Amino acid sequence: MPDNSADDSIARVLAQFREEIDRGVSSRSEFERVKGRYLGREKGLVPRLFAQLKSLPAGERAAFGARANEAKTAIEETIGRLANDIEYREEESRDRAAAVDVTLPGRRVRSGGLHPITIVRRRIEDIFLRMGYSIADGPEVENDFHNFEALNFPPDHPARDTQDTLLLDRKARSPLLLRTHTSPVQIREMRRHGAPLRIIVPGRVYRKDEVDATHSPVFHQVEGFVVDHGISMADLKGTVTAFLEELFGAGTKTRFIPTFFPFVEPGVDVAMSCIFCKGSGCPKCKGSGWIEIMGAGMVHPKVLQGMAIDPEEYTGFAFGLGIDRVALLRFGFPDLRLLFEGDERFLRQFAGEP
Amino acid sequence: MRFSLDWLGDFVDVAAAGGVAGIRKRLDQGGIPVESTEASGSDTILEAEITPNRPDAMGHRGLAREIAAMSGVPMKDFAGRYAEPPSDGDSTEHLTSIVIQVPKLCRRFGARLVRGIEDRSSTDLVRRRLGSIGAKLISPAVDATNYVLWDTSQPLHAFDFDKLAGGLLIVRKARKGERLVTLDEIERVLEPSDIVVADAERAVSLAGIMGGFDTAVTAKTRNVLLEAAWWDPVTIRRTARRLSMHTDASHRFERSADLDAIPGALNLAARLLLEAAGGMVAPGLLDAHGSPFRVRRTAIRLSRLRVLSGDNRLDLDFAGEALQRLGFTAERKGKRLSVSIPLFRTDVRREDDLVEEVLRVYGYDRLPSRLPAASSAGNFREPLHRVEDRLSDLAAAAGLFETVNYPFVDRDTQEAAFGDWLRLTETAFEPLAILNPLDASRRHLRATLLPGLLDAVSRNLRHGAAGVALFEVGRAFGERGEPDKPESYESRRFAFALAGEQRPHWSLPEKLREADFFDAKGFLERLLEPWVASEEMVWKPALIQAFTPGASAIVETRSGRLLSVVGLVGGTERQKRGLPGNVFAGEIVVGAIPIETRPFHFREYSSLPAITADLSFAQSKEISWEKLEEFVRSRRMPNLESLRCLDRYEGAEMPPGEVKTTIRLTFRSSERTLEQEEVNREVERLAEELRTRLGVTIG
Repeated sequence: MPDNSADDSIARVLAQFREEIDRGVSSRSEFERVKGRYLGREKGLVPRLFAQLKSLPAGERAAFGARANEAKTAIEETIGRLANDIEYREEESRDRAAAVDVTLPGRRVRSGGLHPITIVRRRIEDIFLRMGYSIADGPEVENDFHNFEALNFPPDHPARDTQDTLLLDRKARSPLLLRTHTSPVQIREMRRHGAPLRIIVPGRVYRKDEVDATHSPVFHQVEGFVVDHGISMADLKGTVTAFLEELFGAGTKTRFIPTFFPFVEPGVDVAMSCIFCKGSGCPKCKGSGWIEIMGAGMVHPKVLQGMAIDPEEYTGFAFGLGIDRVALLRFGFPDLRLLFEGDERFLRQFAGEP
Repeated sequence: MRFSLDWLGDFVDVAAAGGVAGIRKRLDQGGIPVESTEASGSDTILEAEITPNRPDAMGHRGLAREIAAMSGVPMKDFAGRYAEPPSDGDSTEHLTSIVIQVPKLCRRFGARLVRGIEDRSSTDLVRRRLGSIGAKLISPAVDATNYVLWDTSQPLHAFDFDKLAGGLLIVRKARKGERLVTLDEIERVLEPSDIVVADAERAVSLAGIMGGFDTAVTAKTRNVLLEAAWWDPVTIRRTARRLSMHTDASHRFERSADLDAIPGALNLAARLLLEAAGGMVAPGLLDAHGSPFRVRRTAIRLSRLRVLSGDNRLDLDFAGEALQRLGFTAERKGKRLSVSIPLFRTDVRREDDLVEEVLRVYGYDRLPSRLPAASSAGNFREPLHRVEDRLSDLAAAAGLFETVNYPFVDRDTQEAAFGDWLRLTETAFEPLAILNPLDASRRHLRATLLPGLLDAVSRNLRHGAAGVALFEVGRAFGERGEPDKPESYESRRFAFALAGEQRPHWSLPEKLREADFFDAKGFLERLLEPWVASEEMVWKPALIQAFTPGASAIVETRSGRLLSVVGLVGGTERQKRGLPGNVFAGEIVVGAIPIETRPFHFREYSSLPAITADLSFAQSKEISWEKLEEFVRSRRMPNLESLRCLDRYEGAEMPPGEVKTTIRLTFRSSERTLEQEEVNREVERLAEELRTRLGVTIG
């Protein structure tokens, strides 16, 4: 019964295949085994069916071949479907493994930040760079000449009492000290570049002040200094007003009153409308509605002359303000000492500030 | 300074000037801010701040003049107040005499005698007014001098005339070592640079500062010699500072007194004393002159007034009026005013000073406001300033917070911890010391930023932070400077510190959360990347007191320029500063960074595939990665694109002193696709060379 036996072999393979499939193929390895057993190129049961063709009589071959092909197609289809199932199930389990508790904390890129003094300094620099100023710089160790004498603080003049100076113990022709203001850089810049000049000078300065909520022996200033033809008080007022509006917001009002600094004449105290009460009076401005914010004035002719600039040809203005104080006003913290403690809990509060 | 509204009313109609509120506004406009006002009985007390250039306004007469000028209310006629008081008996000239031996230092010395006074108290007016401004009441003679001081700003002194040997006064330099017990009962040892008022035998007063104790007026005093003088400001200031004395008198003389005030002040004082204590004023005033003095004149041009103010509405009529109100006399001469400056305005000397006077009266607020036109190119920045800003930005982006720390240190502590680093950087072999430090235990300027930064780290950890990352940009100060170039003492620095947890994430084992040396190194490389490529840096083990040897390094450029130190802070230092865990810190010498960033140019790269090959071997720890890398590179393997350290393993199964290193070699050609075989051949050859030349064990 070669016919039957041949026919049977197809039916047997199919039946065996169905039985195996019905038992279930759950893993990829089982699937690969099944797939190999039936479709494997050399030893697979299906290719072996086709191998029988040669031994069949020529008349039966066509029919057998057709049936074998049918069986092969059926098996392949099932295997294909199984492959999809397996693939799908694997994906599913991969996804399950990738599941996380999405409420757990993320791994954040750590962010640091600049110091409030740097933030304020850069803001001030930006404002003046846009107005066409350059940024100059000078040493913190200075001598009496640059810090006082050239700025029209004669030796033994009481004006020096207002700037309690930390003196250094080195013998020098002009005694060394820690600069008490950024104004010595005026002198250095005039000496280097002459007139005209249009600079700001941010920097660290020192005074012999005991540390408390509003005093620090180390603090920071920005000096502004313009020397040119025909510079007037009107230019000083316009510049300072524009600057304070940029820094503290439009609507900031300014007030200019006379005062005395040896290196300017006339000397000016600049007050601005209190940023807390908008000028109506509050404890922060001691009820006056005004906050003193900077000292300024027209460059003293003696200061210009000392640097060989003719005060008849050139006039100029200068102003100076404390960066620390601006930071305190802007960020609203109560005590200058916080600036110098390096406490991350303080510093991180300003990290997002541009 | 405290001023009585009632007293000001002697000189100016305070109601016409606007009362307290008006006066306050006017004085503000004039540059004498009134800090506060308070009622005192029927009077009002004004607390005003007088700048050091205005000694003339340190008395009621001067302040009233400011109020009058600013408000346009005329000054009252007060000539009678300072006129010759009723007098009787022998003339002053007959009874005493004055000799000025130092005419430049004492340009005027006046005296009056009041004889036969009784032991009474001052008049109600004097008592009330001195009381209201907070001056102590002592005796009619002393009260009279104080009253005149607060009236005219001219300091006076009262001697017990009977205690003056020879009945005369000599103004002279003190003798070296001369002693004088001053009113405060302290014995002062004098120098020839001091001026004294002496009698025939000894110094009786430290000129311009404080009278002598022995010749002071007491309850028993019957005859009083009143003194009013002008003293050289610099001499007074030097003596007062040397002796740490600061009195109402020295405060005014240092700022230069009014040469004109002397006779009137003496007259007023004599009359007040007479009114209070009786007796009789000796006729005449002794008025001795030292070097001559005269009223100074200067001019103010309309052009200058307009240039400085920027206000073309101002004219000479207004200027003349303003100056006259302030006590100047001004005479029109074409386009200028010729102005004589009253002697009480010692601060006014030149044209620009007059401009200020005119503008004060005009009101700064009335001046126009505009932006100056630019005539020069701007937007230039000091190059190192830019470098510092860039470093700060990189550090902040890397997660560090910027700090600002005080630069005051103790030299010995600094030397003990960082001496070797200071020697390497040539700063502060011997730090700069402050002569008058705030805190004697920190009297030197830092020569490195590290101590201050580590203290900030310590404070954070003490406050309970699990980790902290800080930096500071600032200056260190050193000895290498030249005294006449102050700028030469400074060195710009950037310092950083990483302590404790840097990656505080639950997914990482604790050890990986903490900073280690390679965090610090990687950070430093990133910081310097804009200027110095990491291949250009040479890392050498460092031996610096505060750092752990073997876990710290000195970083140089290939050309030998010292850039930085970085490493693990050592145990002793951590203990000293209260740092519980590992702290990695470093400091960059900012000045050693090239100002220009390194060139960034496009380089072609291959689009062909790469072949990678890993090679593992056990090696002696003595062979540094730098040496190994150098060795591999020196083989010049064809098409080697990169070499990296893939893994380092130091497990228990490794022999002591050995470490297992795995390197990854990446090969790529820009011309053809490489064959695996040719790469394998190269790697095999390299393995063989590593084995024979460096003694590693492959596999």
